[in-house]
Amino acid sequence: MKNVILLTLDAIRKDVLEVYGSTKGLSPFIDSLGDESLIFTKGQTTGPYTQAAFPGILTSSYYLDYGKPRGLAPERTLISEPLQKAGIVTAGFHSNPYCSDYLGWNRGWDVFYDSMEDEVEPRIPYIRGDIINTKVSNWLELQVKGGNRAFFLWLHYMDVHEPYMPERKYVDMVDPSLTLSEDEMYDLFENTLLKRDVSDPAKVELLKRLYEIHVREIDTYTKEFFGFLEKLGILKDCVVIITNDHGDEFNEHGGISHDYKMYSELIEPPLLIYGTEQSGEVDKLVSSIDIAPTIIHLFGLEPVPAFKGHSLLPLEDYPEKGAFSEAFDQRSQRGGDIEKDIYCYREKDLKIIYHANLDKWEMYNLKEDPKEQNNIVDTLPAVEELKKKLQPMVRRWVK
Amino acid sequence: MKVTEQERAELKPEVDKLVEKSKEVIRDTFSKYKIEDMAITWTGGKDSTLTLWIIRQVCLEDKIQIPKAMTIDEFDVFQEIHDFMEKYTKEWNLDLEWCRNDDVVKAAGSKLNNIVKVKDLDERNQAELKRIGFEEDSFPFEAESYTGNHLMKTVEFNKYIERRNVKAIFQGLRRDEQSARIQDDYYEKKEAAHLIPEHMRIKPILHFSERQVWKAYKVYGIPYCALYEQGYRSLGAKTTSAIAESGVPAWEQDLEHTTERAGRRQDKEQMMGRLRKLGYM
Repeated sequence: MKNVILLTLDAIRKDVLEVYGSTKGLSPFIDSLGDESLIFTKGQTTGPYTQAAFPGILTSSYYLDYGKPRGLAPERTLISEPLQKAGIVTAGFHSNPYCSDYLGWNRGWDVFYDSMEDEVEPRIPYIRGDIINTKVSNWLELQVKGGNRAFFLWLHYMDVHEPYMPERKYVDMVDPSLTLSEDEMYDLFENTLLKRDVSDPAKVELLKRLYEIHVREIDTYTKEFFGFLEKLGILKDCVVIITNDHGDEFNEHGGISHDYKMYSELIEPPLLIYGTEQSGEVDKLVSSIDIAPTIIHLFGLEPVPAFKGHSLLPLEDYPEKGAFSEAFDQRSQRGGDIEKDIYCYREKDLKIIYHANLDKWEMYNLKEDPKEQNNIVDTLPAVEELKKKLQPMVRRWVK
Repeated sequence: MKVTEQERAELKPEVDKLVEKSKEVIRDTFSKYKIEDMAITWTGGKDSTLTLWIIRQVCLEDKIQIPKAMTIDEFDVFQEIHDFMEKYTKEWNLDLEWCRNDDVVKAAGSKLNNIVKVKDLDERNQAELKRIGFEEDSFPFEAESYTGNHLMKTVEFNKYIERRNVKAIFQGLRRDEQSARIQDDYYEKKEAAHLIPEHMRIKPILHFSERQVWKAYKVYGIPYCALYEQGYRSLGAKTTSAIAESGVPAWEQDLEHTTERAGRRQDKEQMMGRLRKLGYM
């Protein structure tokens, strides 16, 4: 029986990877996996930021299914739970506070490392990928020595996520001419990124550069991790799903970082499945809610009724269906303003977006206008059908 | 604690094996360090008391002096724990030092929930706050808050190590308290860092489960704080420790299906701090 690994890379955009068209050489290792992977070219996450995205990935349900979120809703089924019940060893290693034990995500895991017990640096509040790798490899060694039970490992790297302060050695891998000091990088984070100030294109470009250096960094951690799998002799027994939770914006639509917007730089994930003996591009529209059902399928288990998605495999059985996302304004006030809510529905290449508080619609044809510059909502009759499908989701959580 | 002879006999083989392993770790440490370079942390709770007791057994068996002990007075303490520790300090003839971050207590006007202004703290405390990235200019004096906890416990711990030149310190931590500790080793080296002196941490009861800890108490009649009899399962600061099951002694509760430590206040603050630095809120 094969093991399944879900490798999620926080904030990584699809377009930084060569398998999705980048020519910047930021991810040589991940790109090298392309030939042995299924590459999903049309995907959508359940939301543009971590809290909105992880329910989709790990519970195959939607962000606002249970009202305003307060940690992991008890009603949701976390992927670890049915796997653990079936006797599969479940382990999670990450350092994203939104998925912490404190917020209820430590359910169904035999091992759950959320880094909250460890100290982090004052300016970089997550654990570096290579340190997480050490913990994972220690666990993998014990796991392999201990016997023959199959495992599910969720591994998450935070390094691409802001504050965008890469170490010198990674800067030198990408752009040795870049001479920003740590303080200057932090200043850029505080005064440009946090303030969402896009007025100076040079600064936005600099932020993007720092971000790209982190992509290069995370590629080294990914390579190191695969190296462990190989060294332990288990790489051939593993299926690895690689994706993100959300992307990041660099003024494609007037903003920076990842706020409550539904444009592709935020909600179109990279999605690769390595190790199934199938490879090639898949252009069916898929959603992150399909990942958990895929994991269940890979372990040969019965589909979980609570999961709203559909297994991506076998490919020929995957139905044509739309993808749905939602979010609200996390930043404007403490706890976020749920009345500034936004919804998105996509079918094939048509995407509609609804700003509920403004009663404003947008629509884009992603084939002809992939950069989403031309709002065609008033021009196509097709929009009425899509609006009808989106409507039931709008404010369904309001009592 | 009521234990029949039969129960004791049934539990003894398992407990003996666990205790033997602990003694091995302790003896190994004793072979590497001088008595005066070692110390034992003791909170009065069940884990550190078990650890202390096993170390004491080794010292009695090998006829050597027991290393000095330290405890941190986090101000918000149970009188019952204090009394328990005083009693056994005398009975076991321990050199126990009570450490307290008096500077923080003073800045809080010796009252819980008062606001402490960072500028009223001494250099060491201010430096520690800077090190952990605390940027605000005040915090409430609550022992289980992340900031308060850090100053009351971590600073005093490190200061003790420096002051008494401790090279190796025993702690009563167990693997099954947090699943992330699954890789933890009996020995953990802490490298010297800003405000942290280099030292080795030894955890002799790492392999004990919560249930096994209580089995050891039953087999050997080790003393424990009476609060456990009242239903407390885990003892921390007084205001935030809650009785898990009223009137049911800890060892009779369903340890396997409920959590030992309910979500603590300091976890929330720590999380909020991290989210802020990740650009949220």
